[in-house]
Amino acid sequence: MQRLTCAGIDVGSSSIKVAIVDDDGASAQLRTTVVERIRRRDPRVVMRATVDSALADVQLDLGDLAYVASTGDGDVAEGVRTGHFYGMTCHARGGLFLEPRARAVLDVGALWARAIVVDDRSKVINSRMTSQCAAGTGQFIENIARYLGVRLDEVGPLSLTATRPEPVSGICAVLAETDVINMVSRGISTAEILRGIHESVAIRLAKLLRSAKATSPVLVTGGLASDAGLLRCLTERLNEGGRETELVTHRLSIHAGAIGAALWGAFRRRKLDAQRAAELSGPRPPVAPSP
Amino acid sequence: MTTSAAPALALSDDLDELVAEIEARFDDLTLSRVRAWKDAAPGRLAVGCLPVLAPREVLWAAGALPVFIRGAGDRIDTIRGDAFYQSYICHLPRSTLELGLLGHLDVLDGMIFPNTCDVIRNLSGVWQTTFPQHFVRFVDPPQTGERATAAAFLRADLDLLYRDLCARTGRAPEPAALAEASEAYAEAARAMAALAAARLAEPWNLPADEVYQLRRAGDAMPPRDFAALVTAYVTAARGRGRRAEDRIRVCLVGAFCEQPPVALLRAAERAGCYVVDDDLTLSHESSPTAPRRDGEPMASIVHAALTTPRACAVRYDEHGAAGATLVERVRACRADGVLLAAPSFCDPALLDQPRLTGALDAAGIPHTSFKYSESSGQFQSIREQAGTFADSVKLWGTA
Repeated sequence: MQRLTCAGIDVGSSSIKVAIVDDDGASAQLRTTVVERIRRRDPRVVMRATVDSALADVQLDLGDLAYVASTGDGDVAEGVRTGHFYGMTCHARGGLFLEPRARAVLDVGALWARAIVVDDRSKVINSRMTSQCAAGTGQFIENIARYLGVRLDEVGPLSLTATRPEPVSGICAVLAETDVINMVSRGISTAEILRGIHESVAIRLAKLLRSAKATSPVLVTGGLASDAGLLRCLTERLNEGGRETELVTHRLSIHAGAIGAALWGAFRRRKLDAQRAAELSGPRPPVAPSP
Repeated sequence: MTTSAAPALALSDDLDELVAEIEARFDDLTLSRVRAWKDAAPGRLAVGCLPVLAPREVLWAAGALPVFIRGAGDRIDTIRGDAFYQSYICHLPRSTLELGLLGHLDVLDGMIFPNTCDVIRNLSGVWQTTFPQHFVRFVDPPQTGERATAAAFLRADLDLLYRDLCARTGRAPEPAALAEASEAYAEAARAMAALAAARLAEPWNLPADEVYQLRRAGDAMPPRDFAALVTAYVTAARGRGRRAEDRIRVCLVGAFCEQPPVALLRAAERAGCYVVDDDLTLSHESSPTAPRRDGEPMASIVHAALTTPRACAVRYDEHGAAGATLVERVRACRADGVLLAAPSFCDPALLDQPRLTGALDAAGIPHTSFKYSESSGQFQSIREQAGTFADSVKLWGTA
């Protein structure tokens, strides 16, 4: 089968991820991934720069791509994209590309988290999503890190050093932030506070996975997939009471949405080409109705 | 008089200016443009019409501008209107009353309430007691498929309405005025047909929210002015040159009375759909072919009302063909699926859904359904539903 080169653009709340893949119908190879934080810039400008950077990596032009698929806040990619796929669909596909054994994907982004149950074709079987509250998401942890004067890449390692986590509100991000201010004034160490935050987020995420009836292994994707402190807390929560859930992550987990979009783009391109070929050899479509 | 052949509207050929004009008309809740139209000549009336089957040609021939009132959407807070209805009643009558109580409908001289459901029938009574200054008429379209009887019944109703309105405007109820009104609405119908064809051909250049607001703008416009606005928009929008995206084509069904917020239409399209056909702003359909001037125009108007091809839950479905009609329409539009969107507590739309979904299932046409109210402010769940529906159809060919 013909090899197709396709791109996926995942427009998140805080960063834009681009992936380019080669797909021959039977297997796919990841050519490159690029991530760029938006940092209060025009997302359209950041998106275009990120796409150009990815294309430069593989020495291709936009016109060389068989399909450009957007996901997330895809309107930003209007004019560049061929089509759009919903975030859940893309994380399911990208998740299975990164970890073929996974039967559930937990996508933890900046503003919400989604538990997605998938079959071996990457088809979404069931899903659950957090409500509008920001508690349990990346933006929440990022805010706390900023209050505490900790870099984002230090959050996970610091949390792992804590031995006596300080409980914080798991109900509301605003209440949790108040809790953190009180803890700082009480002299609680940064590591204990971060561990408490991770415990709080892990409780919410474990509930989300259970309500979606997620089965093992669970792949974590999205921006928080690289937070080792959160992953440890979540593993403990998922396995408490004798349950056995394998929680896995991947160094490219943050790119799962973009990778999934690119792979679905290739799938869709083949389908469209097949439909077009069938139409060319079949009867003409019916005429339009009166209004 | 109102029925001059040439449109009085001066229109730009710039798309941005046309869209701004359309949005301004859509947002004109106080009907300031209707007031300006009335003030432009003595003896003019404006009569409000509730969805769906309002006899526009008859009003126009009598010298009254038909003004469709489809609730206030999400643009006002309904407070006093809520006091008239129980919580299990849809939003349209509440916000319509709110508009009246706020004085936004003071420019109207009357209201026509076509029979759509018990709520609208009740609203006509509430209106008579709350706004005694208005001419109020409840129009009950025939609920029988037997043409001769149905035609005679509707004819008697419309003749009476025509005579009563003419008595108020001081015009003689002449067939020639009905013929001229029919020609005016035929012109509007032809423009609407061109709009529908353009959207079917290039939905990426004619987004659902713009097309919808354009049709809502026409709810309070003289027919020839509306035809001119539609023609100008279609020409400008087709020249927009947007690139077609890989989206599914959908028909939106069930939103014929209480209207969804514009943001809901945007959410559906942004989720990966092109809405190529819908029953929003459904109204009495005019024939694109005007009756012969030497014929009998009222008979032609009655005939068009009874033989209109558009199926709708508030029309009597004598042969149980609503499902099959929808399937035909979906195929003719080359749509990939159907979004069944019904207002919460809308009995006609919700009661119609099982037979529609049954017919769609039998024909293998994917569909999904959701409820809304005109004041909905959150569309994340609808975007999610429409997005996963679009993905399922694109990737798996099923819902």
